[in-house]
Amino acid sequence: MTGFALHADMLLRGTPEPDAARRPVRVLLRLAAFLVIGGALYGAVMGTFGGVAGQHVWQVVFSASKVPLLLLGTFLISLPSFFVLNTLLGVRGDFGQVLRALVAAQAGLTLVLAALAPYTAFWYASCGDYALAILFNGGLFAVASLAGQFHLRRAYRPLVARNPRHRLLLRVWLVLYVFVGVQMGWVLRPFVGDPSLPPQFLREGAWGNAYVVVGRMIWSVLTR
Amino acid sequence: MWRWIKELDRVLRGEATRLSALKGGTIRIPAIGLTVVIVLLGLLAGFCVGWFAIFNRTPPEYRQVLASALKVPLLFLLTLAVTFPSLYVFNALGGSRLSLPSVFRLLIAAMSVTLAVLASFGPITAFFAVSTENYSFMVLLNVALFGVAGLLGLVFLLQTLHRLSLIDEMTALPPLPSAQPDAGKDAAQSRGQNDPAGALDRVPGHVLGAHVKAVFRCWIVVFALVGAQMAWVLRPFIGDPRLPFVWLRPRQSNFFEAVFHTIQSLFR
Repeated sequence: MTGFALHADMLLRGTPEPDAARRPVRVLLRLAAFLVIGGALYGAVMGTFGGVAGQHVWQVVFSASKVPLLLLGTFLISLPSFFVLNTLLGVRGDFGQVLRALVAAQAGLTLVLAALAPYTAFWYASCGDYALAILFNGGLFAVASLAGQFHLRRAYRPLVARNPRHRLLLRVWLVLYVFVGVQMGWVLRPFVGDPSLPPQFLREGAWGNAYVVVGRMIWSVLTR
Repeated sequence: MWRWIKELDRVLRGEATRLSALKGGTIRIPAIGLTVVIVLLGLLAGFCVGWFAIFNRTPPEYRQVLASALKVPLLFLLTLAVTFPSLYVFNALGGSRLSLPSVFRLLIAAMSVTLAVLASFGPITAFFAVSTENYSFMVLLNVALFGVAGLLGLVFLLQTLHRLSLIDEMTALPPLPSAQPDAGKDAAQSRGQNDPAGALDRVPGHVLGAHVKAVFRCWIVVFALVGAQMAWVLRPFIGDPRLPFVWLRPRQSNFFEAVFHTIQSLFR
């Protein structure tokens, strides 16, 4: 447990892992474990909007599994293209470090989210409006994403110093990740869970395309 | 098979197109082996594109998945077959000394880059195919992803051609004095200047003749235009869910007009 906290602290401070060169897989798995634990912690708190009594406890379980799923799913879908692009731009040799930086940034993001979870609980306790609850969670995700960005840029600094191509690749990664992530978040709705509806893992008829929905909204406003 | 995948890896890493590797004036790759890899990557990419017909039709149309998987490799091989003769002839007219097999190997290498990128986009395509009902969005997404993959392949083609003509010039001139390693620079940097690490890196220094450059630009334009229209001839790749399944649609309209109409219909 102390070791766990120690590693989490190292992760947040951006201290390089001492055994990264010797045991790359182990370090990656540890970072992934942080991602799952941090995400599940925040997700569980996020799912308590409808209460935890009776069947509403399922929303807690669903949300706790969905936050790590959102990040890991987006990551795994975007990774193959990023790997090929890294190879093509001649920086394949750094990919181990790149992979660690990417997973560490997401793990850092979920640790920040987990640290913000008490605010969510406090907000739920003081305000019962569903739309406001969604908005509040969106705000906290934005804060955590900024922290993740900060983390990623810090980890990329030595890579960029070695080869400026990494700066371009970092931007490409953000475009890929956000493009897939927005749709992934849309597909995995509901995260908070409308208390008037029974809890479901995926909302029925919720499939669709986030970009098309937003585009239609803008279109309908423009042509009103 | 594994050996051929390793060859693809060499091409992607840029090892096959280093100046030192191109010394013989040709790119040394097994054309047949890479063609097999290209077909496999195309099958994979097409398979992912075809998922839309499984998740957005009732009952699911599995024939579309098969059709898409077969059509993507076909698209690239047919484009190659149509453009190869003229590319070779104009290349020869432009004054390049590349032989027929060299041009062929070069095109196969560029195509393997395109298909590797395209196949790596597969998970993204499949994910959107599963979660999207909007046909226009899928069409435009695929046009964009195919465009990016094609663009990277063409950049590879251009840079490799540039390197090959550099080699050509070097062998035509009397041997240059070997470059003195600069004591102030580290080894990686000096290597990076003479022999770039990446497949897409630009080799600085020599400037090509204007007519050779013009030929290169024509290569790119012809290749892209034929590829786009070939995709239109081979449609449907995704399959409009409102229309019944067919292996090929009748001749009408063209690629660019269709993309324009799809953009118009996206948010309706």
